[in-house]
Amino acid sequence: MGKSLMIVDDSATMRKIIMRTVRMSGLEFERTEEAGSGVEALEKLKAGPIDVVLCDINMPEMNGTEMVKQARQLPNCSGTKIIMVSTESAQELIDRVIADGADGYITKPFTLEKFQEKLAPLLN
Amino acid sequence: MITTVSLKDVLLDSTKEVFETMVFMAVEESLQDGTSLDAPALLATITFKGRLEGCLGICCGQTCASAVAASMLGMASGEELGANDVSDAIGEIANMLLGAVKSRIQNEVGNIEVSIPSVVEGRELRSSLGEGSSQVRIRVSIEEEHIAELSLLYREGCNH
Repeated sequence: MGKSLMIVDDSATMRKIIMRTVRMSGLEFERTEEAGSGVEALEKLKAGPIDVVLCDINMPEMNGTEMVKQARQLPNCSGTKIIMVSTESAQELIDRVIADGADGYITKPFTLEKFQEKLAPLLN
Repeated sequence: MITTVSLKDVLLDSTKEVFETMVFMAVEESLQDGTSLDAPALLATITFKGRLEGCLGICCGQTCASAVAASMLGMASGEELGANDVSDAIGEIANMLLGAVKSRIQNEVGNIEVSIPSVVEGRELRSSLGEGSSQVRIRVSIEEEHIAELSLLYREGCNH
């Protein structure tokens, strides 16, 4: 069965760029969804399991670090791989969000190769 | 404390990185300091606080902003972008620029907290941080066709 992907970012532009980068990386998802905030992402995660989530950190309403913490409490999310995609590059923050349940971290600006490196292992 | 000279290099290097990897457009420092930007213009700003606090801005004319947004989104020529798309794209560039700047200076100034970007449209736009602040302003040529102005206004923060 094909994998599903959700992109979480308050910027519609960035959601489109990430979607395009995923496609250009040669990574294939059967179903893709978008969410403009951590709140919207949690609602979608409650509605059904999603295999991979690419999530921004600095967002209004609910930021990405809080979204990860709450997502990890959901029964639907036990197998979900969550990769943070953010301009934040402080190692302390990266360590903290990984400890809170994220599976990986990509800093913006990013390259196609970085997406392949982080995402390809999750699809095998 | 970071010197103005090094911050100019940091800002220019960060701009080149963001435009090369995310916008797919070539950027060089422009020496055309006297020319005014096309009006009306868009100004995207994002603030930061920590041991260093201030505001990073990118300002360019509407034509430039539309070209940058179209390239960033990989749109074919002829496809039209809405005003919200252009505004969102320029705001995201400001966000990534500050991210790139931050990664280059965080060893010296420690972590800084970053706001959500905001974008305004108008004429004669300039960001300001008031007295006691320093600034770096550079103009860049984008694909040798468009001009944008980048600004980094900063001062020592309360957490120093």
